[in-house]
Amino acid sequence: MASERYQNRLELLQGTLDMMILRTLQWGPQHGHGIGLAIRANSGEVLRIEHGSLYPALHRLEKQGWIGSEWRITENKQRARYYRLTRAGKKQLAQEQSRWKRLVDAVAGVMQPSES
Amino acid sequence: MTLWRKIRKWILPRFLAPDEARDLDEEIGFYLAQETQLRIDRGESPAHARESARRDFGNRTLVSEITREMWGGHSMETLFQDLVYGFRQLRRNPGFTAAAVLTLALGIGANTALFSVVHSLLLRPLPVPHPDRIAVLAFRQKDAQLATQFSYPDYQDIRRQSSAVFADVIACQFGLIGLNARGQAGRMFVNYVTGNYFTTLGLKPALGRLIEPSEGIHPGADPVVVLSWTYWQSHFGADPGIVGSQAKVDGQREVTIIGVAPKGFHGLIPFLETQAYLPMSMAALDVNSGDYMHDRALRSCYVYSRLKPGVALEKANGELAVIGSRLAAQDPKDDSGIAISAFLERNARPDPASASVTMMAAILFLALTGLVLLLACINVANILLVRASARTREMAVRTALGAGRVRLIRQLLTESLLLALFGGAGGVLIGLWASRALSSIDLASVAVPLLIDIRFDWSVFAFALAAAVIAGTIVGAVPAVRASRADVAGVLHGSGRGIVAGRNRLRSVLVAVQVSGSLMLLIIAALFARSLYNAQRADLGFDPHHVANVTYDAQEAGYSAAQGRAFAGRLLARIRSMPGVTSASIAFAIPMGYWSSSSTLRVPGYQPPNGQTAPMAAYNVVTPGYFGTMRIPLLRGRDFAATDQPDTPHVAIINQAMAQRFWPHRDPIGREFTMFDDVKHPLHIIGIAKDSRIDNFSGPYPLEFYVGLDQNYVSIQTVQVRTAASPEALLPELQRIISGLAPGMPLSLGQTMTQAVQTLNGTLRYRISAMFAAALGTLGLLLAMIGLYGVISYSTAQRTHEIGLRMALGANPWSVLAMVLRQGMVMISAGLALGLVAAGVLARAVSAFLVNVSPLDPVTYASVTGLLVAVALAACYIPGRRATKIDPMAALRID
Repeated sequence: MASERYQNRLELLQGTLDMMILRTLQWGPQHGHGIGLAIRANSGEVLRIEHGSLYPALHRLEKQGWIGSEWRITENKQRARYYRLTRAGKKQLAQEQSRWKRLVDAVAGVMQPSES
Repeated sequence: MTLWRKIRKWILPRFLAPDEARDLDEEIGFYLAQETQLRIDRGESPAHARESARRDFGNRTLVSEITREMWGGHSMETLFQDLVYGFRQLRRNPGFTAAAVLTLALGIGANTALFSVVHSLLLRPLPVPHPDRIAVLAFRQKDAQLATQFSYPDYQDIRRQSSAVFADVIACQFGLIGLNARGQAGRMFVNYVTGNYFTTLGLKPALGRLIEPSEGIHPGADPVVVLSWTYWQSHFGADPGIVGSQAKVDGQREVTIIGVAPKGFHGLIPFLETQAYLPMSMAALDVNSGDYMHDRALRSCYVYSRLKPGVALEKANGELAVIGSRLAAQDPKDDSGIAISAFLERNARPDPASASVTMMAAILFLALTGLVLLLACINVANILLVRASARTREMAVRTALGAGRVRLIRQLLTESLLLALFGGAGGVLIGLWASRALSSIDLASVAVPLLIDIRFDWSVFAFALAAAVIAGTIVGAVPAVRASRADVAGVLHGSGRGIVAGRNRLRSVLVAVQVSGSLMLLIIAALFARSLYNAQRADLGFDPHHVANVTYDAQEAGYSAAQGRAFAGRLLARIRSMPGVTSASIAFAIPMGYWSSSSTLRVPGYQPPNGQTAPMAAYNVVTPGYFGTMRIPLLRGRDFAATDQPDTPHVAIINQAMAQRFWPHRDPIGREFTMFDDVKHPLHIIGIAKDSRIDNFSGPYPLEFYVGLDQNYVSIQTVQVRTAASPEALLPELQRIISGLAPGMPLSLGQTMTQAVQTLNGTLRYRISAMFAAALGTLGLLLAMIGLYGVISYSTAQRTHEIGLRMALGANPWSVLAMVLRQGMVMISAGLALGLVAAGVLARAVSAFLVNVSPLDPVTYASVTGLLVAVALAACYIPGRRATKIDPMAALRID
């Protein structure tokens, strides 16, 4: 019964969301909604960020000093909070990416032993 | 509810962190607008788009709440959040909240009440500037006991020679006077004080002026009186016009009321309420005062000193040792071997010799109530543990959303602290009520006003608050740490049952501790109850039934010794002529009464064994017929007679214990001994009385002897009348007779001998401790049973599935019940084993307060244990019975 939940969507590993937010911001400042859209689009509509987790994550990252934020006016003349990557955030992203790569390689090695 | 939610959602966030809260709100608003636009662009209708965007976003309040948690840094804001959240949690579970708050309130209340009593009697500093520098002086002479009454000449010498260490030294002696003012006569407990008394203490008058250093020097001079604030309030309606008016002391001496002492000052004599202050010179009014200003053998002055700033007590004691040896050399007749020392006043209540015993009793009762608080805390901890496991899921969700572990622990601690604070508030209310109840205990008309000034005071409040906060932290810490440690993935994905076992073990240990604590309390209560029973049924050696006592002070009518003796004779003759009276006599002391006297003895031919103090014996002053009235058998010799007059040889009757001690194998009759106080009149032994009780109900009988009123006059007298009829009915009649014979004498105090035995010095102290211990024992039992019931119910509920399975497989209800009871018995017996050992240790510590019962009395231990087991099994039976009613099919279907 409980396994039913897993069939429909992929669950994010803890910490992965943070990494993806940082990665998204590498292209330039973006507001929360835009970040959500970007992650969804880049994952081929597979990853839908739960809104309940997005804002806590953004504020957590800001508190860590990895992203900064400012209020800007959008093209539609609306006030929106834009997040941008800080220097520390760039460093953090680099670390997380290399760790992620190692993890993916490791898992891949296990799943396809013939190739190694 | 809706208003509350509005406050919570909109007003508080703005108030607490206005910019960020508004920002977050705007941010979310922007998100929703974007999302709505996106959906409209995709072709949804605007209304539908707005609705679905909002639905997909989820609980906006929860999201912003969790997001705000990420800010962390604003500790005030998070604290407030925690508080608000905690309130909401508590309100959501009213049953749990009520149980926990009530439990804590009872525990804290009992502690507050008792601490109030201990504080007001033993710990509260004197209401004078720098009370920590006030010291009380005491001395030891040769091997005698520590004494606190100095002679006036000794006081003067000490004062003159100690100016290096003391700012000043003061003396006071106490007495009872009859005061006639504004047409009303009243009996007062007064202090005769040296002129520097108030200046040294640093007190300012509430009204008028106080006694001044120039006063009180020459015997009989300076007829002035200062009233206590309380007496002024109660007897003169706080009328400021009283200052300057005239009053009459003991119906003979005119005095001027010069002022009122400050509010809250009750004199220096601990536990007693001093009602007025007169200069030391006025003590000459007392018929027994003698040449007190010059005779070093007359010791009646309590001596206090104020240490100079920066002078340590040790230094003062060094100085006093030198002064003592000088006094001994200068006056070897009275002061040989005198060794003086000072004690800080607060550490020497009621007097330096018995301060440690008093403190012991206080600590003992504080420990017992502390135990009750501990039991209460354990109960709340247990309730919180149950709730923590119910909230495992909530905790896991919060962790998954990124709430830090510290944050969770803080949240849970805030909740339990809130509980503790509510409990503390309730405890203060209960404590106030209980201390009011305690201070209204009727201490049965003792002659001297006892100071029962038990009032709410900030340090008591601080104590209760500290107790509550400590209780909250202890109670909250364990479940909080456990809950925050919850295995997130396991809880979210599975049913989370794996954690339960460990938690149950902790709860079982806690319940065992509760059982042992309540067993201790019950055993102490039972020992006290048996002591009370034994005290009430003890063979007193006299017959208290059918005896009426009326106490008066002949001096208050202005009688000299000769007049007082004549009055006693007239009174007895008048009473003996009344119908129904079988016997009447007068005594100074009544058994278990307030007044008593004792004297150091010189017994020719008796050598105290090495290292022992000079012999002391209690004595009573009586008239002929006393032994008949009290029905104390006179074993040998004769009673006092009218022929024993001041100018004939002084005579005494001794008790068996005294005969045995000093003349073990000889006939005491015809031998003599002397009192240290009265070496001029050796006492010839004329009779031996059977031993009787004076101030205790068990143990060896005290050494006691009796002397005649005619030969050793005292003005404080109790006329005792044995009557065939009811002694209560006789009391008003006796009081009328006394007023008739001695007009102007303040109203005498009437009491039956049976009542007298039940006063504070009699069985009342056992009654108080038995009632107190019984209340604590009942409370402890109740708490332990709630804990036991809770744990068994909880674990039975947890095992519903298992029990259902067992029953489906053919287990009968009896074996299920037995299984539940067995689980209970494990906890109970562990608790009993621990409790019996601890109770034995504790009971040994209280053995001084027991009457005719061993601290390890097997009957008490067995019956209390039996009672506890019966009640405990009943507490287990209810959930056990419920378990047998489990429907196997329903139970198995749960998962």
